[in-house]
This record gives sequence, C-alpha cells and structure tokens, in this order.
Amino acid sequence: MTSQVAAGQPAPILPGSAAQFEAFLEPVLDAAYGTALRFTRNRADAEDLVQEAALLAYRGFGSFERGSNFRAWFFRILTNAFYSKYRKRKRQDTDVELGPPPELYLYVQTATLGLHGKSTDPAQALMAKLESEHVTAAIEALPEEYRVVATLYFMEDFAYQEIADIVGVPVGTIRSRIHRGRRLLQKALWRIAEERGIVGTLTDAVDEGH
Amino acid sequence: MHPPDRFTCEEVFARLDDYLDRELTAEEMRLVHAHLDTCAACASEHQFEATVLTGVKDKLRRLSVPSDLMARISARIAAERPGRGGLAASPSQ
Repeated sequence: MTSQVAAGQPAPILPGSAAQFEAFLEPVLDAAYGTALRFTRNRADAEDLVQEAALLAYRGFGSFERGSNFRAWFFRILTNAFYSKYRKRKRQDTDVELGPPPELYLYVQTATLGLHGKSTDPAQALMAKLESEHVTAAIEALPEEYRVVATLYFMEDFAYQEIADIVGVPVGTIRSRIHRGRRLLQKALWRIAEERGIVGTLTDAVDEGH
Repeated sequence: MHPPDRFTCEEVFARLDDYLDRELTAEEMRLVHAHLDTCAACASEHQFEATVLTGVKDKLRRLSVPSDLMARISARIAAERPGRGGLAASPSQ
C-alpha cells in the first residue's frame, strides 16, 4: 500500500523509500547521464550533475506525486541543477554565430553540391557519413539556451509542453528554440562535415555507387 | 470564414517543423499530409528533414554510461538515510 499524502504537503522520506526511489531512478539513469553529458560537455561534470540531481530528487521524493511522470519530474530537477551549478560558472563560449537561422540548410547545401541529382536519398547519403562524434560536436557547439532544449528534444523525445515544464519557460519559447536550434544544428553539422573532409567524400561515394 | 480544405506549399513549409514533431492539430496534420501526398517538391524537403532528424537522434543516443554510476548514487543515498545524520533525518519544514 502506498501512503496517502495530503495535497501540497511534502511527505517525509520514509524508511525503505530509498529502495523505492532507486527503482524509479534506475530506468531513467542512462538517459539522464546522456542528457547531462550534452549539457555539461564533459564526462566528469556529467557524472557530478547526475549524482547531485539524484540526491536532490531523493530529498524531494516525498513531493513526487505517485502515478505522475517520474522521468519528466527527474529531468526538471536535473535541468535546474545544471542551470544553478554551471550557468554562473561558464559564460557563453559558443562558436556558432547567431544570425537569422537558415532554413533547410543541409537540403540546400547538398543540392548545391549536386547530390540530389546523383543520390535517390541525399539525406541518408549525408547522415551515413556523419559519426556520433560529429553530431555530438554540433549540438555541443550550440549556445546554451538552444543546447539544453535541443538535448531534451533530440535525446529524450519530450513533447514541446513537457520541455516547457522542465525548463520553466512558455511553450511558445520552446517551440521557437527547437525550430531555431534545429536549423543552427544543421549549419553546425555542415561546418563540421566540411572541416573533417566529409563533404568532399559525399559526391565521390555517390559516383562510385553508379 | 471556412477552414481551408487544402494547404499551399507556403502553408505547408511554415508548418514543416511542427509536422515533423507531431505538434499540429489533427486537422492540420491531415492537411499537411494530404499536401505531401501530391506535391513532390514539398515531399522531397519533408523526407530530407525527416531523415536528418532521425539520423541526428539515433547518433546522439549512442553513448556509454559509467557502469558504476547507479552504485555510486546508491551509496550516497545510503549515507543520507534517516539515522545516519543526513538531510533525510531532519524534520520536514
């Protein structure tokens, strides 16, 4: 039997609730670490952040409404912990210039390259050449406000409203950041593909296939 | 004013992001879908964006998690349990 908690009244942490808390936490831990890694951009900070969020969540576990979405609740704590711990320490150090976000950036670039006439699936031809590390570098190059939202969106498939609840900003702002972040990410991906010599191999690979 | 029974290319393009994320109303989803069924140019752009989106999600999710992370969290929680002097032992405010 679960204990009944008066509305709005945090319940005390009961003996034995550590095991119950850990049973909730374990299924979301890998995803939380992955998100923390994109937030902080390094493994040591990501581990610290997840551990800190887990402790905060455990201390507040009495206020978690049983039957509601633990994953969304925990990611809100994780995101808040990231903001409070790292936002002050690290000023923005992005290398993505902010201007009007280009629309269909990769579509246009691959078309300009002539890939659309040569490949039946130019997007797949491009993505097949990009490794996880390239995509990670692209998302980590985004300005923080876009990186946080894009991470929750790309890694966790949260809906716009869920992300709005986690980050604590209006859903319209989240919608705008996701759309803009997606475009900035495409631009960053192409720049990385150019820098790593991947763009040059795209048409070669298609030519060899014909 | 009657609701539109079909979308133009411009109207579809303005909704492409939300369509990819299934964040449109059911009626708008239907109208975009119907347009993509009949417009090769818009369908080509949509297919490209959808493939990139899927590829980015897939590649971002490939990572290795420290195998002892849960154990370390459990140890820190154990140190906070009631009777061990952690915050959990404090009376709730």
